[in-house]
Amino acid sequence: MTRMKNRFLEKIIEAAIFLSGIVAVLIVVLIFIFLFKESFSFFVKENMLAVLLGRNWYPISDPPQFGFLPLMMGSLFVTMGAIVIAVPFGLAAALYISEVAPAWLKDILKTGIELLAAIPSIVLGFIGIVVLAPLIKNFFHLGSGLTALAGSIMLAFMAMPTIVSIIEDAITSVPRSYKQGALALGATHWQTIRRVIIPAAFPGIIAAVMLGIGRVIGETMAVLMITGNAAIMPTTLLQPVRTLTATIAAEMGEVIRGSSHYYSLFGIGLILFIITFVINLIADLVLHRRRING
Amino acid sequence: MTKLTTQSEVIIVVEEQIKRMQAKNINAWFYDKQALQNINLDIYDKKVTAIIGPSGCGKSTFIRNLNRLHETVPGARVSGTILLDGENILQGSYDAVALRRKVGMVFQKPTPFPTMSIYDNVTAGLKLYGRQSKSDLDLLVEKSLKRAALWEEVKDILDKPGISLSGGQQQRLCIARALTIEPEVILLDEPCSALDPISTSKIEELIHELKHKYTIVIVTHNMQQAARVADYTAFFLMGELVEFDQTSKIFTAPTDKRTEDYITGRFG
Amino acid sequence: MFKRVVLFVFAALLLVGLVAGCGGGKKAIQIKGSDTMVNLGQAWAEEYMKLNPEVSLAVTGGGSGTGIAALLNKTTDLAMSSRDIEKKELEQASKLGLDPQEIIVAYDGISVVVSPKNPVNKLTIKQLSDVFSGKITNWQELGGPDKKIVVLSRDRNSGTHVFFAEHVVKLGDSKNPNEFGQAVLMMPSNQAIVEEVSGNTAAIGYVGLGYMCDKLKSIAVAKDESSPYLIPCIKSVANKTYPIARSLQLYTDKETSQAVKDFIAFILSDAGQKVVLKMDFVPLAK
Repeated sequence: MTRMKNRFLEKIIEAAIFLSGIVAVLIVVLIFIFLFKESFSFFVKENMLAVLLGRNWYPISDPPQFGFLPLMMGSLFVTMGAIVIAVPFGLAAALYISEVAPAWLKDILKTGIELLAAIPSIVLGFIGIVVLAPLIKNFFHLGSGLTALAGSIMLAFMAMPTIVSIIEDAITSVPRSYKQGALALGATHWQTIRRVIIPAAFPGIIAAVMLGIGRVIGETMAVLMITGNAAIMPTTLLQPVRTLTATIAAEMGEVIRGSSHYYSLFGIGLILFIITFVINLIADLVLHRRRING
Repeated sequence: MTKLTTQSEVIIVVEEQIKRMQAKNINAWFYDKQALQNINLDIYDKKVTAIIGPSGCGKSTFIRNLNRLHETVPGARVSGTILLDGENILQGSYDAVALRRKVGMVFQKPTPFPTMSIYDNVTAGLKLYGRQSKSDLDLLVEKSLKRAALWEEVKDILDKPGISLSGGQQQRLCIARALTIEPEVILLDEPCSALDPISTSKIEELIHELKHKYTIVIVTHNMQQAARVADYTAFFLMGELVEFDQTSKIFTAPTDKRTEDYITGRFG
Repeated sequence: MFKRVVLFVFAALLLVGLVAGCGGGKKAIQIKGSDTMVNLGQAWAEEYMKLNPEVSLAVTGGGSGTGIAALLNKTTDLAMSSRDIEKKELEQASKLGLDPQEIIVAYDGISVVVSPKNPVNKLTIKQLSDVFSGKITNWQELGGPDKKIVVLSRDRNSGTHVFFAEHVVKLGDSKNPNEFGQAVLMMPSNQAIVEEVSGNTAAIGYVGLGYMCDKLKSIAVAKDESSPYLIPCIKSVANKTYPIARSLQLYTDKETSQAVKDFIAFILSDAGQKVVLKMDFVPLAK
């Protein structure tokens, strides 16, 4: 009797676990279908190529112009800027934590970096607008500090925890024997790090960069507050930019349901979804390959 | 002449030996746990010294102090003196990096660098000291691989990853890598424990060859191996040096009861 | 077993009591829409609930479009809007069997603001249009110092943006091809504009009358060079001499409840219009 009951219970638990797994996948698929459905007619009506290559974003003018290019360039500039800042710092921080820092400092630093991840992005955005933007304005003698650079710096802070913890994991999982092998050959600590540890941890570093990009490109609040949101084609980081995410956030509230403008925002959503999906996929493949080889 | 123990005096009478390294009053710890207690041991020039003993007796810890690799492990400490060519290598001012170029090491588990080809593995140590011409490097790679008795097996696949070789080949690759930097002393930390008998015998042959040019210290828990390759043998037990003598004497007429128990297989 | 039944009944009773305590008795009116009006709506609601404790009002922002969309989805009773309802939205409403009614409840003047350190004091609508569409880029052209103009606008989620685009950038003619210049910085809130203009002598922006403060200077605006230059204030907006003023309105379905109608009556009453004045908007003319 109890045995039957146990078996029954087990079946229920199994079914529940299976269901939760399926639901997660199903939701992603449904979101994709939803975005695709909502934006499909827009891409057909407005000519996809014209949208993707259009340089003007005037969605509420008459006639409207839906050029995604400045928005995609905006996201690209801010994201690349953030990664260029965050990766060297993140790598250095991870190396310091895993290779150099004494044990007591290691714990403090790790906690500190994790705390950075806990700061709401709107708070960072606020700090950005009050502290960072004026600094950039005065340093570069600009008209306004609300630029791609301000967004990049703020986003670099947000991506740092992800990047540091993944790289640190990758470095820590490099077998100690490699390090000792290099030291035994008369390599200095730094030579060991550069020639042996970093190459061995390289897939992890790539994965960290990819996940960092994924984190940054989807970020909304901070960029909305400090990048100036002008939909121009940027040529330097010292210009204001309008990112894909900020466009959705800024325009969804006022958009007229059922208008082309409304569907264009879903089109932007679809593009963002595809970008982050591809980035996560690459990161996953890189990490997976490491597991097989390791 | 420094003060000698009776054992050393016997040796000096038999053959005139140069002491390449001298360990004096070595104590070592991992955090609070003492791993070595007051070790005094001499390593003779161009001889093979085997260190035997049961697992956890401190034999690896001891040789890892001979190139100061011990100190790179978290929580590790050491006290005492180790003289190499008359200089105390344990004093803080001694350059550990320079020491490791004089005292090479091969580990229990073969450790070719995973991201490097066979060729790059062999030259890894050299590249650290600056650039050399490609032809010089080619010659050195061939020489080192030949000395490590690996050349014939890998000469056509030098650009393949080092980790694609078999375990025995990987270990000889590591020996070649250690030889490339022209050390004076080579430390072998249980180099055959992960290998099959054929690979083991190849490495043992290699040790016979190498001792004409190098001073060798080998840690092993295989007593037959010690008997086959070593001129001198030290027996470690629970962090202490129980007995040190010529190999033939240790295996035929040990003076300490514990040594006798160990080599006759009563424990360990 | 008996214990369990008792527990269950107890829990059920508790639940029923809670639901009754919250929902029952009070009529909840939902008000949603324009961010410009959200504080005003909140002030009305508080005042009205003081007078009628049995009524409950919930005010949320999100933008004029959000409010109108919510009205069409029947998730709100009243939509606050700082722009007129669009033709497309009216079509959707009739498809859904709704007939939205417009009630103008207040006026708002839009202040064009610069830093108090900026020497420029007055501009015409035409000059403003040139500045915001990117044709004029240096303060020198406006009689100021040789400095690049940093132009700030509210983002497109704001009714103020839409109004400013139509009445200033396009000079009141919806066929006019003028647009906000591409380099115009789009700020996510009135507060962000206040923050940036007060700290930047080269900046120019616009905010609702309610956001004026000491850190900002209002530019006097004239319809054209021959008209008088006016500072936006309650009087100049109320008598319609200040050129950048607009109406704020509520939308509700024709078939709405008596409770909503009562609330609208309150808003249009003297007491309701006093609240408008207190919140720095301009009350309806008597």
